[in-house]
Amino acid sequence: METFIQQLINGLTVGSLYALVALGYTMVYGVMKLINFAHGDLVAFSAYVGLTIFTQFYGSNALTLVNIVIVFSLTSIVVAFMGVLLERLAYRPLRTAPRLSAVVSALGASLVIQNGIMLIWGPNMEIFPSDIFPSTTWNFGGVLISYTQFVILALSAFLMVSLYLFINKTKIGTAIRATAIDQDAAKLMGINVNRIVMIIFIVGSMLGAIGGLFIGVYYRGLTFDMGWMYGLNAFIAAIIGGIGSIPGAMLGGLLLGLFNAMISGYISTEWAETFTFILLIIILIVRPAGLLGHNVAEKV
Amino acid sequence: MKIKNIASALALSSVMLSSVAVADTVKIGVQAPITGKYANEGQSIDNFVRLIVDEKNAQGGLLGKQIEVVTCDDEAKAQKAAVCAKKLVNAGVFAVIGSYTSGATEAAQSTYFRNKVLQTSDGTSDSLIKRKYWTFFRNSFPNAAQSDFTAEYMVNVKKYKKIVVLSDYSSYSAGLGDATEASVKAINGNILFRGKIKSGVQNFTSTLTKIKAMKPDVIYYSGYYTDGGLLRAQQIQLQIDADFVGGDSNDNPDFYKLAGKSAAGTVLINFPTPEILPYPEAKKYLSAYKKRFNMSPPSIWPVTNADGLRAIIEGVEKTKSFDTKKIASYIRTMKDFPGITGPFNVREDGERVGAKFVVYKMKNDGTKEVVK
Repeated sequence: METFIQQLINGLTVGSLYALVALGYTMVYGVMKLINFAHGDLVAFSAYVGLTIFTQFYGSNALTLVNIVIVFSLTSIVVAFMGVLLERLAYRPLRTAPRLSAVVSALGASLVIQNGIMLIWGPNMEIFPSDIFPSTTWNFGGVLISYTQFVILALSAFLMVSLYLFINKTKIGTAIRATAIDQDAAKLMGINVNRIVMIIFIVGSMLGAIGGLFIGVYYRGLTFDMGWMYGLNAFIAAIIGGIGSIPGAMLGGLLLGLFNAMISGYISTEWAETFTFILLIIILIVRPAGLLGHNVAEKV
Repeated sequence: MKIKNIASALALSSVMLSSVAVADTVKIGVQAPITGKYANEGQSIDNFVRLIVDEKNAQGGLLGKQIEVVTCDDEAKAQKAAVCAKKLVNAGVFAVIGSYTSGATEAAQSTYFRNKVLQTSDGTSDSLIKRKYWTFFRNSFPNAAQSDFTAEYMVNVKKYKKIVVLSDYSSYSAGLGDATEASVKAINGNILFRGKIKSGVQNFTSTLTKIKAMKPDVIYYSGYYTDGGLLRAQQIQLQIDADFVGGDSNDNPDFYKLAGKSAAGTVLINFPTPEILPYPEAKKYLSAYKKRFNMSPPSIWPVTNADGLRAIIEGVEKTKSFDTKKIASYIRTMKDFPGITGPFNVREDGERVGAKFVVYKMKNDGTKEVVK
């Protein structure tokens, strides 16, 4: 039983990371009907930016909570700026172009960021210091949760709830939903679509930045091509949940993490990927729009 | 007509010029992961080759010819390795040093064999010499030798009763894992679990949680440092009360950085690391390396590759020819060629023989101590 609960926690931790990244895919898709393939590389970029700020400003001394908040905020701002830049340079000029052109542009942007990371930080593995969060681990009757895991789970949950409220309860959120339903109609109602798209990229990139930082803090080893793997998994998560749906991305991320953990834990790591894709295919056959993607008109 | 004559004369002279230029140099290839997660190993292999080549060139070159190094980045990927092999063959190299991983080495082997190009690699996978290509010889020691040593250490020295063997899916790591499992069973040791993790996924907690329930005495990992360091860190985080023994490819400074404080107590089994090699060649070349590149090689592998290159150079000089067939058979008959990593002897099938292993233990301050 402990083993099972431990596996649940393992899966939820990874799943939260996938969910944070998946939100970026799903929000951009919801509004622009564009799969932003560069999002995964933006996540990798944020891990590198975070590492640079950590090591430049604070050395490898143990960090206070204030410092950590500063690093997370600074990184989010830098990455949000990159996200906006990405939209301006790679996507906005192609907004009225055939959809395939935008997809190729996204793939190109992904390679540019990936190689940019390699040129700036080098091809070697970069490693996060191991003492950013305290190494405390809590033991609940044999089930262990480390401080880092707890922060990941708690902060991810907080961010997801905030995002949900932001989209559903605020005026900007309403504008975002309106744009997602029909861009032209939204324009006629006086919504500045360019601004909405910018907000989408800022929010998506910031969530990705937090995800990237968590990946750095929890797993520590960074490689310039790591964005591809996390991006692919998050993309799958977004599709499982129903791309375009925000609660769907959260659910998809958590499910993917849990599924991977359970198969690796109880069957074999050999089969984890195979089963994941079988699951994906089954979900798409039964529910072509994904788990929560049924209401097409309300996609955000 | 006249123009045509001039043109053909020009063409002819340029052919002659280029053939003169070719005659003055001889090319040696390096196939190594210059980028990607094993980049620091690959770059160091390239550095060490250049160090030895520059020394040789300063002494007047190889049989009077200057050596030119052609490097190809295989990113430790089999597909890229196959492309590199063709590229290096087309560049006209007579010998290739590399690659770092067994998988990338194996993918390139047949191309070099068909084109009669010598190849030497540190890859330890037993499958590398299975096809008995005369063009290939190993400059490190095979998994089989290491697995016997490891099994002896775990079963008879440490008396572990419940052993878990983990590897990744690469041909090197899975091969060493399987070989270790077989060696342990051969001396009546008890293998509790033989599992595999996926290199690069970073999250090994599911596999470790599964292992925790089995209450093992020791976890042996036969993969690379990029995963080994994380595996150790996550083992400690999950409070799995077992020793951690790592195979040779865990021995890299990045292992300790990834594992952080959890690295303490880790045991590694490897060939003697560069800094403790007792041979005179080792002192000479390692201080030259440090002087030129301002750091030590990250592991023993660039050094064994350097020995492979030195064996080839020795072969060329002793046979006084660039005939790769002659060089290959000379290398197989050498007796105790003084290598940087110890006496260098190659068996008929291309296997380097005379393996020596050392057991290291990590201390709290991040330094290593030789246990055995």
